[in-house]
Amino acid sequence: MLLEATNLSKAFGNFLAVAGADLSVDDGEIVGLIGPNGAGKSTFFNCLAGEAMPTGGRIVFAGEDLTRAPPEAHARAGIGRTYQVPTTFEDMSVLDNVMVGAFLRHPHLEDARDHARRIIEMTGLRAEQPARALGTPGRKRLEIARALATEPRLLLLDESLAGLTPGELRDAIALVRRIHEMGITIVIVEHIMEVIMTLTKRVCVFNQGHVIASGPPEAVVKQEAVIEAYLGRRHRPQERNG
Amino acid sequence: MSQASGLRVIAGLFAAGLLLYPVVLTDPFYRDVGVTFLLAAISASAWNIVGGYAGQVSVGHSMFFGLGAYAPLLFYNLWGWPPIAGVPLGIAASVALALMIGLPTFRLTGHYFSMATLAVAELIRISAGTWGLVGAAIGLQGPATGRTWWDLTFRSELPYYYLFLGVLAVLLATTAVIERRRFGFYLRAIKASERAARNLGVPARRTKLQALALSAAFTSAAGSLYVVKTGFIDPDSGFGILVSVQMVIVAALGGAGTLLGPLVGALILVPLQTATNTWFGGGGSGLTYILYGGIIVSIARFEPGGLSELWARLSPRLRKRAHAA
Amino acid sequence: MVAVQVIVGGLLLGAIYALFSSGLTLIWGMMNFINFAHGEFVMLGMYVALLTVTWLGGGPAAFAVAAAAALFALGVGLYSSLIRHVIRGPMLAQILSTFGLALLLRYTAFFIFSANFVSLPPTALAGTIKVGGIYLPVAQLVAGATALLLTIALHVLLTRTAVGSKLLAVAEDRAAAMLMGIRPDRMQALAWGLSAGAAGIAGALMATAYPWSPSVGETFGLIAFVVVALGGFGSVLGSLYAGLIVGLIQAASAFWLGAIYKDIVVYGLFVALLWLRPQGLMGRT
Repeated sequence: MLLEATNLSKAFGNFLAVAGADLSVDDGEIVGLIGPNGAGKSTFFNCLAGEAMPTGGRIVFAGEDLTRAPPEAHARAGIGRTYQVPTTFEDMSVLDNVMVGAFLRHPHLEDARDHARRIIEMTGLRAEQPARALGTPGRKRLEIARALATEPRLLLLDESLAGLTPGELRDAIALVRRIHEMGITIVIVEHIMEVIMTLTKRVCVFNQGHVIASGPPEAVVKQEAVIEAYLGRRHRPQERNG
Repeated sequence: MSQASGLRVIAGLFAAGLLLYPVVLTDPFYRDVGVTFLLAAISASAWNIVGGYAGQVSVGHSMFFGLGAYAPLLFYNLWGWPPIAGVPLGIAASVALALMIGLPTFRLTGHYFSMATLAVAELIRISAGTWGLVGAAIGLQGPATGRTWWDLTFRSELPYYYLFLGVLAVLLATTAVIERRRFGFYLRAIKASERAARNLGVPARRTKLQALALSAAFTSAAGSLYVVKTGFIDPDSGFGILVSVQMVIVAALGGAGTLLGPLVGALILVPLQTATNTWFGGGGSGLTYILYGGIIVSIARFEPGGLSELWARLSPRLRKRAHAA
Repeated sequence: MVAVQVIVGGLLLGAIYALFSSGLTLIWGMMNFINFAHGEFVMLGMYVALLTVTWLGGGPAAFAVAAAAALFALGVGLYSSLIRHVIRGPMLAQILSTFGLALLLRYTAFFIFSANFVSLPPTALAGTIKVGGIYLPVAQLVAGATALLLTIALHVLLTRTAVGSKLLAVAEDRAAAMLMGIRPDRMQALAWGLSAGAAGIAGALMATAYPWSPSVGETFGLIAFVVVALGGFGSVLGSLYAGLIVGLIQAASAFWLGAIYKDIVVYGLFVALLWLRPQGLMGRT
């Protein structure tokens, strides 16, 4: 088990954003995380990445207990992430952005630069462009590149494929596949069913702070609890033939 | 001529100008303005490391300046040592103070840090005004005439000018080196988004502390230079809020977070302040600070990157017109 | 007996500290933003009181209302023209916006009013009164008591009224508040108005009992920082307790250590808080 989040909880005052969530991810898996808005997915990700300190439960990554560890420690252990709202370093170039990530494993300037250039080439970006000149798809791609530069074992993608044209989406899915083929384990939060169906072998459904269903995508989306979570109690699945 | 080499020529000319300035303009008035310019550039460049590059906006940097100014005169008044011997103590005290402030506050938001710098600077100022050892409200004086060369009491402005110029060169060289190395990348990342930086493994708190300590050390050196030249310090001229304001506005006007921004800011504001003080006489300083307040608010509202950013935005357009012509 | 007098005097002034500091803490709690010009708002309230009396006549009630209204308008105006724009921007812009504003207001006041200390002409609150064996200036007593009531009123407004819960909703979660039909921009403008208004009234109340000059803004701003840090960012009730405590500590230090030490002890308290309990008595981090 590469990542084991057990009974994870995160409370903000009286509000329980994450309430007893469990997630186990094996080395080499690509797992989807879906659920309605406000279900607690982003907060859960924040806990996994070390940005939010869980108020209950444990996170064990590659045998190391990271529950109380700061974000820097999560990154060093090998967890990388992207953000729902792109948080690129606007005043820096694409190359400089990626180099910040590269420095983690390559403290020397030239090594970091070479490593960053390789990542940039792989992701199809242009090194000299200023980050602020990129559109949203470019920024999302840059975030992936930047996280990749830290040589993570686990990559948490937070809606990195949202808002793309069909062509861009195909390229992005291909990129995620390439990353997976490099041996990186991926957990991806997405609303786009095409992405979930084509990329993931296993999907967990988040609702009201915890996982309510888990399994292969085709099976999970038909589960009544899942449909209820998205659509509410009054909507029942239509009768289907066969 | 490409833009990069054009800029290099301008920078070279400017450096030559700085070197030759007091030789060409020998009138003490002009030399004094030159020394004031250099001091403003040094202080602002020192502030720039933590306030500009790292984005941690200290508004109480006078506390480091004042420590650097008091230490030399303290050594002189207590033990008769040449003031310059006190410079390392000032730097050490400033670094210690920097760590004392940064350690608890860098865990919290940027606003808390800024607030803390203001409060601590004011605490030190008032305390100095009550402490007899450092002259209380009257302050301390340095040697009136030099006993040895080491007292650095020169009649002419010339040696001060080149001493200050040397320190400025060291500071700018240090900043330029930082810019190109990992530390500089980390500073800029933290300024842009500390959250994202930390998720990439950047040790944010440690990096900010290092930036603050480095900035404090150079600011202390600036204070020492000031007191070596003027031979006098008191709580207001050392720790006063207007000292902090000066550093911030000079750096921010030219472009906080750029290498030469503080120089540009000093180039504009030092002559400006000299002029307004002459025009308005005694009441001039009040009007100067009304103007400063207005400039600072305008920078915040319209162009936080200062003139450097303004130039960066406008120059592509200007270049396009030049190419089209 | 003298000790009791010192203590009561300190608490009365502390109540005024509580009032203007609650304005600062409100903004902090809502927007994670520190207003470096908050002390100047208090100072302006004092001058509005002076101008109201000298131009229009009128007693304490009149000029307190005038100060509240004028500063409320200033607060809203500043939010719309300046704060709203910088709050989304880099830290430098956020800090410099109110820091520069403080300079601007302070030195403009110096320019217009000069650096001399002034007082209000005697009002209906002149004279001293004997309460339980000690002598208190009536103005100080009324100012302090009014400030205490207004601070409690602000707390009640925030915690028990519809408007208050809207303000707090925006503070908790801007996006969620929008989904509930609340307009965050409007609420934040209102918060700035209330914040400045509280400072303005506090200034007007203080003007009845203590002399001042344009320099007081700097000191009040720092005192507000200390009160807010001690009481907890975002907690008006915390500001109330902390304001009283700070007023008390100040008066005690002045009396037992000497007048010059009153600010040193207060700022020293702040430095201690930095290290020991940055979130204050009642705040969240």
